[in-house]
Amino acid sequence: MSGKVAVGSDIGQARRAVEQLRMEAGIDRMKVSKAASDLLQFCLEQAKSDPFLVGIPAATNPFKEKKPCAIL
Amino acid sequence: MCDQTFLVNVFGSCDKCFKQRALRPVFKKSQQLSYCSACAEIDGKVIVWDSFTTNKEHAVTMPCTWVMACAYAPSGCAIACGGLDNKCSVYPLTFDKNENMAAKKKSVAMHTNYLSACSFTNSDMQILTASGDGTCALWDVESGQLLQSFHGHGADVLCLDLAPSETGNTFVSGGCDKKAMVWDMRSGQCVQAFETHESDINSVRYYPSGDAFASGSDDATCRLYDLRADREVAIYSKESIIFGASSVDFSLSGRLLFAGYNDYTINVWDVLKGSRVSILFGHENRVSTLRVSPDGTAFCSGSWDHTLRVWA
Repeated sequence: MSGKVAVGSDIGQARRAVEQLRMEAGIDRMKVSKAASDLLQFCLEQAKSDPFLVGIPAATNPFKEKKPCAIL
Repeated sequence: MCDQTFLVNVFGSCDKCFKQRALRPVFKKSQQLSYCSACAEIDGKVIVWDSFTTNKEHAVTMPCTWVMACAYAPSGCAIACGGLDNKCSVYPLTFDKNENMAAKKKSVAMHTNYLSACSFTNSDMQILTASGDGTCALWDVESGQLLQSFHGHGADVLCLDLAPSETGNTFVSGGCDKKAMVWDMRSGQCVQAFETHESDINSVRYYPSGDAFASGSDDATCRLYDLRADREVAIYSKESIIFGASSVDFSLSGRLLFAGYNDYTINVWDVLKGSRVSILFGHENRVSTLRVSPDGTAFCSGSWDHTLRVWA
């Protein structure tokens, strides 16, 4: 049951909300260009060890079912 | 915001067995389901599987129909689970067949509404929980004591994820108020809040580096938020996708984002390019949960079609 709380109906609640917003507005922000390039760098560095990107040989993959080979 | 679950006597037809009985209404995310007392008593189960052999290793019966959250302890020796019973219980795992796991159950968390998510912190000793009562809480497993509570969401909290670093003290939570909030575990303060989704946020997951997180929502989009830039940096959506995303997870490097949707499919997104890499079919009902294995070789999806599928 997700009801909406009536904001501002209580002065104390409104004051706390403003305080929280002021605090959030005051944090140090990094530029997206720098933050995004860091994410990119991390991703490319880790890509070599990511099994979904690099792929592992079927023989070592524990999830591939091992079927006996039947030669007709 | 629901402070309590209400029990009302209503007569009608049960959603499960369709008999005319006295019903117990159950609320989840403002959807009401009504079960007659016979069906509501049917126990929910928590099962621990061996994913390589598909054997069931452990099974515990929970005294409530819906188990909504479960988590493995970092040591692998215990599991925590909870749901409509408003509690989070910890069960130590034992391979001894003579021991009854339910007997060793330890009730750790108590909320005033359903438990939607739970997660152990870096040790087996603390658990973080999120609840339909709009709060998250940090508990000590041994004593069951509330260590810290996190207030700020305006509606049910549906998901949470802990920051990946060992020294990390933050976690992110997403809720029905469309907000994703980042919290400091020590002070209980909300550090950052993001409100760009257009509907309930069903799932949040940190990027492997810990500097960003992704969220999946009922508005059919997944979004990537950068914590240092303090804003949304990418949206993963397509006009053809109209059903909500119920669960998201990153691959090991963070290049791929796997998202399970209510239209029975799993979409794989390229995180950096913002485009869809692949769409996976196989489930016969909505995909409700999805998790990548810790070594990144496979991921598992759980669905309303009663199956868990491992994709590798």
